[in-house]
Amino acid sequence: MKHNAPQSSISIDAQQLVVNLNNKTILNNLSFQVASGEVYALLGGNGAGKSTALKTLLGFHKPVSGQAVIGGLPVSSSFSAIRKKIAYLPENASLYPHLNAFENIEYFLSLAAVHKTHAEIKMSLQQVNLQQDAWKQPLSKFSKGMRQKTAIALALLRDSPILLLDEPTSGLDPVAIDEFNLLIMSLAKQGAAILMVTHDVYGACQVAQRIGLLRDGRLVGEFIADGEDQIDTEQVHKAFTAGVID
Amino acid sequence: MKQNLKSIQPVIIWEIARDEWRYWFRSKLAVVALLIGLACTVLTVVVSVGDAVELEHQRGHAQQQSEQTFVNQPDRHPHRMVHYGHYVFKTPPPLGMVDPGVDSHTGNAIFLEGHRQNSATFADQKQSSGTTILGALTPAFVLQVLAPLLLVIMGYGVVSRERETQTLSILAAQGLGYGNLILGKISALLLVAMLMLLPLAIAGVPVFLHGEPLLTLSMFLFSYLLYLSIWILIIVSVSLWAKSNSISFSTLAFTWLVLCILMPRVATNAAGVMVPAAGKLEKDFAVVAELRQLGDGHNAKDEAFAQLKTELLNKHNVNRVEDLPLNFRGLVALKSEAEMTDILNRYAEDRMREELQQSFFARQFGWLSPQVALRTLSMLTAGTSLETHHRFLRETENLRFTFVQKLNQAHTNKLNYIDDVNRNKSQEAGQIARISAKNWNVIEGFMFRPSPSKERALKAMTPLAQLLLWFGLFCIFLRNLQRHYS
Amino acid sequence: MIRHIMREWRFLLGQNNLVILLCLCCALSSFAIYSGHQEITAQHFTIERLQLAQQQDQEDILAKYKTPGSLAYYQFHLTYQTPSNLSFAALGERDLYPWKHRIRMLALEGQIYESDVANPELAYIGKFDFSFLISVLAPLFVILMLHDIVANERSNGRYELLVVTASGSIVLWGYKTLVRFLMLSLSMLVPFYVGAALNDVPLHDVFYVSILVLAYLAFWAVLTLWFGRHSIFAPRIAATLIGFWVAVTCVIPITGNVLIEKNIEVPKGSEILLLQRETVNQAWDIPAETSLTEFIKTHPEYEAYAEMSEGFHWKWYYAFQQLGDEAVAHLAFDYRNAIQTKFDLGNYIAMFSPPVLMQRQLSRMAQTDAISALRYEQSIRDFHQALRLYYYPYLFELHSFDESALAEMPQYQDFARL
Repeated sequence: MKHNAPQSSISIDAQQLVVNLNNKTILNNLSFQVASGEVYALLGGNGAGKSTALKTLLGFHKPVSGQAVIGGLPVSSSFSAIRKKIAYLPENASLYPHLNAFENIEYFLSLAAVHKTHAEIKMSLQQVNLQQDAWKQPLSKFSKGMRQKTAIALALLRDSPILLLDEPTSGLDPVAIDEFNLLIMSLAKQGAAILMVTHDVYGACQVAQRIGLLRDGRLVGEFIADGEDQIDTEQVHKAFTAGVID
Repeated sequence: MKQNLKSIQPVIIWEIARDEWRYWFRSKLAVVALLIGLACTVLTVVVSVGDAVELEHQRGHAQQQSEQTFVNQPDRHPHRMVHYGHYVFKTPPPLGMVDPGVDSHTGNAIFLEGHRQNSATFADQKQSSGTTILGALTPAFVLQVLAPLLLVIMGYGVVSRERETQTLSILAAQGLGYGNLILGKISALLLVAMLMLLPLAIAGVPVFLHGEPLLTLSMFLFSYLLYLSIWILIIVSVSLWAKSNSISFSTLAFTWLVLCILMPRVATNAAGVMVPAAGKLEKDFAVVAELRQLGDGHNAKDEAFAQLKTELLNKHNVNRVEDLPLNFRGLVALKSEAEMTDILNRYAEDRMREELQQSFFARQFGWLSPQVALRTLSMLTAGTSLETHHRFLRETENLRFTFVQKLNQAHTNKLNYIDDVNRNKSQEAGQIARISAKNWNVIEGFMFRPSPSKERALKAMTPLAQLLLWFGLFCIFLRNLQRHYS
Repeated sequence: MIRHIMREWRFLLGQNNLVILLCLCCALSSFAIYSGHQEITAQHFTIERLQLAQQQDQEDILAKYKTPGSLAYYQFHLTYQTPSNLSFAALGERDLYPWKHRIRMLALEGQIYESDVANPELAYIGKFDFSFLISVLAPLFVILMLHDIVANERSNGRYELLVVTASGSIVLWGYKTLVRFLMLSLSMLVPFYVGAALNDVPLHDVFYVSILVLAYLAFWAVLTLWFGRHSIFAPRIAATLIGFWVAVTCVIPITGNVLIEKNIEVPKGSEILLLQRETVNQAWDIPAETSLTEFIKTHPEYEAYAEMSEGFHWKWYYAFQQLGDEAVAHLAFDYRNAIQTKFDLGNYIAMFSPPVLMQRQLSRMAQTDAISALRYEQSIRDFHQALRLYYYPYLFELHSFDESALAEMPQYQDFARL
């Protein structure tokens, strides 16, 4: 069951990553690739190594062996160059509670040295469907979903060709999840490479063209969408819970 | 609260306290902090008590020697002995071992001589290397300033830690009463405070053996316990109020900085600005001007004594001072010393009153900082306060005046006027104008004793009230923080 | 760069606790400068009043006493050490060492240890001045302000997002730190600049103090950031740093001080006074010739004038006063030497204690430390010596004492030094 991504436009390339944390092997020879225009979901249970994989790709963990290549550049040596290409959405998107949505986005964009007009920021906030009366409220008054939306708006504004999403839909209500999924898919269509880690089988099947199943730090299976059809939820669910893939 | 009182269960409190201690033992920071804190108190107590005992011995010896030298002087003109003067030393009170108070800044020896009121000279502090910018190596400093910091480092998370790990909600959901929780946390910290106080309590034994009455000794120890309890209440309140460990710690560290480091010095500056006191030197000019009007006691021909002369001549019904049954020069010395002392005392009292006013002003900051309150309380009960120093000055002045006047009396009664007047004619005449060394036996053994314990305890009532107010306020405050327990 | 600084500046303004801390720093600094200025102004006034009183006193004395012997006996001379321009910022040990003395021609050792110090209780607590604020409190403010810059982001889960978003770590942490650091420094330095302007402090001194303060605060800032770079748990960083602060502000200086105390032999001050008193008083009991012969040994030019015809003569009186001083000269020298030695050893302690080092630097600059006090004492000694040299020819009756001689009398001002 080995499927290869198109060789031409690989944006994220994990090559036999081995990561040890506190003398424990968390990632064990993990390899996968994400091409531009593709949504790849790294699916796994608690402690499978999803977040570690993401943080290794972001350069926060150093692999013992193997390497991560993003946009053609190795993460270990071209750290800052890579960051300009990546937008990252953390699991619990905590922004600054004393700033409002607008100010938060402005602040983060300024850190990223990305210049956006007010109109552009407004547009992206509309795009993620954050209700307009909340824009000028401090984030401490936001619900988790609203904060997530703000963070998504920020990620969109970065105009990054590569998106790394950590449990992006956790804490969102079903309506918001649907909106989010549509957004992700449209971004992929525009050519972005999107990697999301999740434990949500249903959500993964809905948006991902490919799903990598992660267990104990290694990739134990990959599922690929067939043309316009979604990946079969049943099949993935079975593999996820069974623990063994034939 | 009545319901709360009923629901208080010692077993649960004990469990909570025990759990806190288990947490501390597993946290490197708490263990290290506790060990350092204990080392500091033990070290300072041992060193200070040792030093104090040695110093007391030294001073006792110096005092004896000084008296011996005075008495052993040869036959002389009595006025020479007035100028020869006498040294007295201040023996520190027993509790001065643990709180030397102002003693290091006042000097511990004073030179007593005729016509002058000297200030105590040779303060220890002047001989220091000038490196101690924050305090001295005394148990008082460690317990007043460092112990609260230790409690903060150990206790900032007593409640906020549980809130951050969300065990607080679990405890609340299990029905653990607010009172039990708080009392448990307080007990855990109280044990730390007691540990810190243990060396001080042990130092109480030598202090007691050196003659400190139980009343002041126990009041002294109690005030330190009360002070640390106030800090515990502050710590638990802030920890309960704070949303996170980080906020709790920052708030408490900041509180410590303000109450223990800042307030005392702000009080000093404020007192200096609000109650300005003229320096001794400046007073000296005024004194000198007044004294000049009295006439020079060395010069019996000074016009200022003309009236005395006429009165005496009339009284004894003679025409010349030479015919008086007394030595007129001695009489002049007696009179002028008495008048001079009156003036000097008036200025000295003025000065002491000013100093006290300044100190009282500074001590009012005890309402704003428990550290200021405790420091005052500690000095007052120990007998190392400004008041005690003033008493030392008064007692020594009394001693000075007494022995000088006794010498002048001898001058008046035992030295012939003619011999006296001719003393400078030749060296032989100088030999004749002397009196026997037996007359030098005018200084009694001077022993500076601490004020009676009752008096000291009474003086310490205001700072005690300040501490009790702090304690009471935080008890009430803590009671009203119940809404943060959820 | 300006854009980054403005961003972090606006960001800082949104954080209430930091704004409060900055305001407090500014208020404290202002208070320290205000009360320091007040104190120094009071000292200047005191000196002025003393000079006025001295003038009056002088006139009275000169009218009353005409012979050199009695004039020297009754005339007090005012000596004082004028506070330097910078002393408002570092009051130093002027509350401990006297900065004004009235002395006369008698044995100097009997007078010079007289202290005219302020209220001992207030001296014991210590003053709050700019140098204390900077060397002792400011490190705590730096710690409180900077320790959680990284840890706070970690514990709030923003760290990764920030790092991935920011174009570089300087942009992310550098400017934030810089702005906080600058604001903290300025909040304390601006009141100092006002004080410096009021006290006519020369510009190069202001500059040097600013550099010192910034370097010192930068040391603490770097230390704080270095400690805090990996930890997630802000209280642990702060507690460790405050522990370090306690070690260098209390434990090391106090221990060092005790070590110095125990190891440096200091002649007891009381011994100097006792010996001096013995010598001076003994002179009355021994033949006057003995004292005068002794005196001639050091002043051979008066040999021809040393005869005593009566029982008392001022020349004999002042000769044995001088002998009294000479008898304790070695003790007094040792005493001063010990102060100097202890001060020098204190420099070594300061090597291990940045706050002490800072405090000493500032009070050295402001000339309010023990060294300055010793220099002042030396100026009194020089003046006293000059007085003696002036009076001796008249006392030994080489010349007659008249109005023109009075005009030649040395004045303390010529000896005053900082």
